[in-house]
This record gives sequence, structure tokens and C-alpha cells, in this order.
Amino acid sequence: MKKYTYIIVSVLICWVSACKKLDVAPLNIVQDKDVFTTAGGIQAYMSRIYSELPIEDFRYSPQRGLNFFWIISPFPAVTGEALSRDQNGAMQENVDGLNPSTWSLCYKAIRDANYFMETLPQYASNYTPDQVNSWLGEARFIRAATYFALVKRYGGVPIIEKVQTYPGSTIDELNVPRTSEEKVYDFIAADLDYAYTNMSDANQVGRANKYVAAGFKSRAMLYAGSIAKYNTTTLVDKDGNRLCGIPSSKAITYFKAAYDAAALLDGHYSLYKNSWAAGDKTAQFNNYVNMFFDAKSAENVFVRQYHYPESVHGYDAYNVPRQLMGANGYSSEVNPTLNFVELFDGIPKNADGTIKTTTGGKYDLYTNTMDLFANAEPRLRATVILPGDQFKGVNIEIRRGIYTGSSAGGISPLLPAGSTSNYPTTNIVQSSNATQEPYTLPDGSKMNPAGLSGVFTGDQTDAISGFSVRKWLVPDKPTSEVLENRSDQTWIELRYAEVLLNRAEAAYELNALGQADKDYLTDAFTQINAIRERAGADLLTGTGGLTVNVVRNERRKELGFENKIWWDMRRWRTADKEQNSTVYRVLMPFYSANDKKYFFDARTDERNARYTFDVRWYYEQIPQGEIAKSAVLIQNPGY
Amino acid sequence: MKKILYILAMGVLVGAGSSCKKIDNYDAPNVTLTGSVVDATTGAGIQTEQGSGTRIKLLEISYTANPTPFYISSMQDGTFTNTKLFAGTNVISAEGPFVPMVQTDDAGKTIVDESQTVQIKNTTTVTFKVHPLLRVEWVGTPTFNADGTITAQVKFTRGTDDPNFQQDISDVYLFVNATKYVGNNNYDNRYSQQITYDGSAGNAAAGTTITITTKGGPMPGKRDYFIRVGARTNYGLKYYNYTDVKTVAAP
Repeated sequence: MKKYTYIIVSVLICWVSACKKLDVAPLNIVQDKDVFTTAGGIQAYMSRIYSELPIEDFRYSPQRGLNFFWIISPFPAVTGEALSRDQNGAMQENVDGLNPSTWSLCYKAIRDANYFMETLPQYASNYTPDQVNSWLGEARFIRAATYFALVKRYGGVPIIEKVQTYPGSTIDELNVPRTSEEKVYDFIAADLDYAYTNMSDANQVGRANKYVAAGFKSRAMLYAGSIAKYNTTTLVDKDGNRLCGIPSSKAITYFKAAYDAAALLDGHYSLYKNSWAAGDKTAQFNNYVNMFFDAKSAENVFVRQYHYPESVHGYDAYNVPRQLMGANGYSSEVNPTLNFVELFDGIPKNADGTIKTTTGGKYDLYTNTMDLFANAEPRLRATVILPGDQFKGVNIEIRRGIYTGSSAGGISPLLPAGSTSNYPTTNIVQSSNATQEPYTLPDGSKMNPAGLSGVFTGDQTDAISGFSVRKWLVPDKPTSEVLENRSDQTWIELRYAEVLLNRAEAAYELNALGQADKDYLTDAFTQINAIRERAGADLLTGTGGLTVNVVRNERRKELGFENKIWWDMRRWRTADKEQNSTVYRVLMPFYSANDKKYFFDARTDERNARYTFDVRWYYEQIPQGEIAKSAVLIQNPGY
Repeated sequence: MKKILYILAMGVLVGAGSSCKKIDNYDAPNVTLTGSVVDATTGAGIQTEQGSGTRIKLLEISYTANPTPFYISSMQDGTFTNTKLFAGTNVISAEGPFVPMVQTDDAGKTIVDESQTVQIKNTTTVTFKVHPLLRVEWVGTPTFNADGTITAQVKFTRGTDDPNFQQDISDVYLFVNATKYVGNNNYDNRYSQQITYDGSAGNAAAGTTITITTKGGPMPGKRDYFIRVGARTNYGLKYYNYTDVKTVAAP
């Protein structure tokens, strides 16, 4: 009996005394109190949210989505800015092939921002009120920027203002329907206004300050105004929320908001002109190139930094001209179209704005390929590597072939105007790849049929448009470092130039809508000329020269290859007209063996890649999985 | 030892094989829905393109008030058939190059609803009478010219009096293809010719005879070409309205 007593007593002792605290937080997971009690913890939290921010930078392509290292179907080859051998037509952002989808990535970022906003106040006693407000503003900025990424793709989307929890709320509460497109833009504006009011003037590089919030607002409101003015698609749910489209009466409100927001940056940022000199094209060219690499540039409003080896991209590897190819074997993925090049000043042009390469039905002859571009606008040279121009200390040689025919009386065009046929093979020597067999010229010297950077008829690993991109390429990167995941130049998401262009476009549209409370037209004129002066382009002589296309083309030229143009073409609702069975144009330099001179043939893309923008894409397809998950989510029209 | 393993494996196999008695014995879908989308005025089928043109929207309301829509693509001539549906109650409407059958005002209130609630069983036929945005008609017969091109004459008129659906006419397109499936989704872009209008410039062309000739020089001979003319307005998703398909023989 005593034995049982001992057993019972010892069981009781063990049972009662052991394991007092079972409910302890797991030691291998960082807790809120570890993160939110120190400024360093908050910096770490922010660092992660910023890395999730959905911006289309060096690591974005419509084919593979956000934050993907492999960029061989580059964004500019979707808009018509460029041609790429791996992109053969127009497309909307890949919908069901992305895992995770852009939709879900955005909502993840929104959840992180919401969580931050709800949790930080519990630890507010550790900081000054200014610090807390500034961080709350920063979280609001993140949320607004993310909603903007959603609304520009899908139109009205569900607005989630609080962290959703399950269990804790019912399925019905978690199924949030889409809000009207107008309300989403208003929500973005409200968040950015809060951010502007509460954030400080300066922050770490790569993080937002109050002016970044204002700059983003100018961008978002310009989109909203354009949609109010130009959209024709309507989708209304059963409660009267207009999920696609904004009433046209709101256009003035939004354009005014864009204009006012852009004006807030006045005096705090400026166009980069550190090595700029009036009338000096070389200085202007160097200045424009340097702008993308000067960390102290007064033009950088919001940037995303990279650093080898922790955070990298491969822009240089994918896009260097063929003759400077790195060891991975990639090159020339972005080859600017002639359509893009023709937007710029300083090149001989026909009356219809196309490049002039013939006189009296015969080709113009040039000693060097760069002679055609002798007076080219510095911004063009800084954006595009023209055939024969210098890059990394070498001449980038781009030549389609050698013309061996007689040159007596001039050379007639190789093909009839507008022809999409192949070049005739008589009288033309060409190369199918970089392994070339030199051709013996009449004077006995030897010359490769194609240039070192193309154009090759077979493998297309070259400047297929006759041009190669220069913007963003590091000018002094040794070829041994031109590798995938080896580039770390900074992505400039928002430049002051864009803010000025936003302001100019909003001002132009306000004037067109009959607003006269300010001299909007003169303001647009001033901003456009500021951009043009820095670019070394021809200045507008008066407000009479301003048309909607002048304003828009300035954007295309200034922001080319910065992954902005596709969104612009969508919000202007011009994409389906621009890309309607469209074949983009290219410029092919030929060497005439008998003349010992070059001539240029402007023609359509030899691959005959046709671009057609589907009208449905103005509102992208919501991933089918999301539609299936939610009982209240409505698909966009036509899908 | 091995014996035990075998017994165990046998046991697992037998267990796995004999459990799950309940097989899915629901009948395969065998109900047919067929029908057409026709012009309410002329009674002719609304010509469209296959896949990206007219589609039939089914809302199966037998089990939920808020179902995910199911779509059936219409054929080129505006008819449609699906022989693998489940029986049930469906709200059926059509979307395409015509005045929408379901319209809502800005407050989301449904102001027009011509969708039909139909018990689908056995073989069910549905006809939708709609007003096309444009009526595109042949004028005469397309001809194969001596220079190897094809010339067609057409006329387009507004199919609706409702000013909300009389947006500017944006373009007329002569589509050419080597098969009878021809339209904006399927054409030979070497020869197909487009006439575009800026702003409201195209509206005056309504009702007049328009002559379009193929581009791209002479077309290879000794074969048939299938041609069709489409025209569209700036409304919504900018669907084309089409003529029927005509065959032109190249000598």
C-alpha cells in the first residue's frame, strides 16, 4: 500500500512541477518584439518589403515576371522600342505561367505593409513620434506603390486595408470583392498624401522620402486621368462599382492632382547636368551616359540598388553588343528599332519623318557608318549604340553585308519600297554567323561580309535591327565580368525627368480640357524644353509646336528602355492602333565594294515579326486560380 | 523475415485494392446545347471569328446563385454547339460584335437583360436576336485582277439606332487566307489590306461602297483564296463585324 502512495506522490510531484511554461514562442523564429523594438530591426523589415516592391526593373520581363534573373524576352521588345531574337510579337504579362503570379506577389507585399502599420504602434514607446510617423508613412507609400502595380494591370482590385487572419474571420469576410478602378486610384492618392505629410525630407538611398511619395502620386494620377479620358472599356458589378474605367468627368481632377504632385518636387531635385555644357555635343553625350551611374545624381528620386554578389542582375551580359560578348554567350537581346531612332533629332529625314537614305532614287554613300549620324542628338547616341559608334573603347561594327554590284550611276534600292521580302542574293555577300569567311575586295584587301556585331542572317545573336542598346550598359565593365548575375548597377525607378514629363503631360491635357486657372500650355512648353535642352535636342520654338504627340514622343525618347513605355501605350489606349499587324523597321548598313563606301537600307524587320495588341489587354486577365478561389472576384472583359 | 514482409505487402495491396468502394458513378455529360446568334432585323447569323469573336456565356444557377461563368465559342457563322454539358438550369447570354444583351447603368442596376433562363436537357436549342454594331455586306462579287490582286467591294451600315453604341468607325479590313477560317485571328498578313480612319473620319463612309484591293503584289495562282471583310467601331473590345466568307479562284 505504501508503495502505491509513493508512486502517486511522485507522479503528482513530477506532473505538477515539470514543464511549467509550455506555451513559449519558438526560439528559431524572429518575434515581433525582436524586430519592432530597435531601429535596426525596422530597417531589416523595410529592406525586405522594398525588395518585394513590384517595380519593373532589370529583373522584370512580361514573359517571366518580377524578380527573375533570366531576361531574354526583354520588355522593350514588346513595346516596339526594340527587337529581340527571343520575342516575336506583342504580349500581355504572362498570366498563368507565372508562379507566384504578379497578383499574389502584390497582395503579399500589401499584407507585409499592413502588418507593419498595425504592429508598429504597439512598440511606439521605443521611438520618437516623428520616427513612428515617418515609418508609418513609408509603409503607406509601399502599399500605394503596390496598389498602383495592381490597378495599372487589372483595373479595380480588392482593397485590403487590414491584415486578414484565419481563423479569426469567416470565409465571407475574407472574400473581398473588387473595388471600382476610381476608388483604387483614390485610395492610392490618400496613402501617398499621408506618406507625403508624415515622412521626412530624406531617407536612406533606395528608400522613399516624402518627395518620392509625391513623385509616385504624379505618376499614378496621370494614369488615372488618362484612363478617364481615353478608356472605352466598361465593366460594372452588380453593386454599381465600375471595375474597369473611370468616368470621363474625373479626368480634370486627376490631371490636376498629377500636376500638383509633380510641382511639389520643384526645387528639391533637378535634371542631371554635372558635366553638361551648352552647345557641346560630346559633353552632353557624356553627361547623359553618366547620369545612369552617378550615385549622387540630383535627378535620382527613387532607386533600387544592387550589389554583387548578394543582389545582382545580368543586364550587361544579355545586352552587350555581340563583339563584346561575355563568357555566358549572351549578347544583343535589346536592339532598338528604326521607329525608335527616327523619333530623335539630328538625322537626315524625309518629309514624312522617316530616315533619309536615298537621293533621287539612289542610295546616299558614306565613308563611315557614323557619318549618317554626325549631327545626331546626344541623347540618341547615349541611348542607342549607332553602327560604328564607340563603346568601351572599340568601334561597334554593324554591317549587313557587302554589295558587289556595279555602282555606275548610283545604286538603286535593293528592294521596292515597303517590301517585306528577303534581300536578293545576287550582288550581296552576307554571313550567317560570327564565323565569317572574308571577302576579297576589288583592291585585293579582305573584309568580312558582316560586322563584328552583326548583322548575321542565321543565328541572330547580333544587332538584328542595325542598332544595339547603350542605356544602362556599364561603359567600363571589363568583358571578363560581363556575366549573368554579375551586374549590380542601380535601377533608377523614378527620375526627375519623368516627374517633369508627368507634369508637362498633365498640363497639356488640362489645357486641352479647357482649364485656364494657370497657363498650363506654357508650363508644358517649359518642362519639355528643359528636357530637350539637357538632351541636346532641338528646342521647341513656341507653345504652338506642342501637340499631344510631341509630349508623348518626348516621353518615349527620354524614358526609352526604362520599362515605362508599355504602360504609357496602354493608358493612352494607343497600343492597339500602334500594334496592328505591325512590323517594326530596321536600318541595314551595306558596304559597296566598288565605291568603298557605305549605304543604308531602311526596311521592315527581316524576321517579319508581327505585333498585334489585343484590345482586351488594356485590362489584363486576372489569374484563373484567383477567380476560382474567390466567389466574388469578377474576371475582366473578354477572358 | 522475408515471409513477414510478403505478408505485409500482400496485406497493403489487398487493402489498397479493396478499399474505396465508392467509384464516381455520376453520368458523363451528355446534354447538347445548340443554337445561333442572329441579326434581329434581317434574321441572318452574326458573322464572327472563331475563338476570339462571339461567345456564349452560361451561368449554371441550379446549385448557386453566383456561379463561375462557362463560355462556349461560337462558329464563324454565328451558330454554336456543345454536346458535352450537364443538364441544369442556365442563364444564357451571348457576347460579341453586337449591342450587349445585358447592360447595366452606372449604378450597377441592370437596365437591359435579354439573357434567357433555360432548362438544358437532351438537346436544347437557343436563338439570340441581337443588333450588330455594324452590318457589312458585299457589293457585287470580288474579282481576281489581271495583276494578281483581289479587289472586293463592300458596304457597311450601322446595325443599331442606339447612340451609345455608335462609336467612331475605326477601320475596314480585307482578310485573305488559304483556308475558309478567315478573320482577324487568322489571316495571311502578306496580302490582307486594312483601311484605317482617324477620329470620326470613318463615319461618313457608312453606307457608301468601299473598294479594297489586296496588298503585297501578285498572289500565287492556281488555287482558291478565302476572303472576308471586317469592319469595327471603337466600342469596348473592338470586335469586328464581318461579311460571310467568299472564295476567289486564282487562275
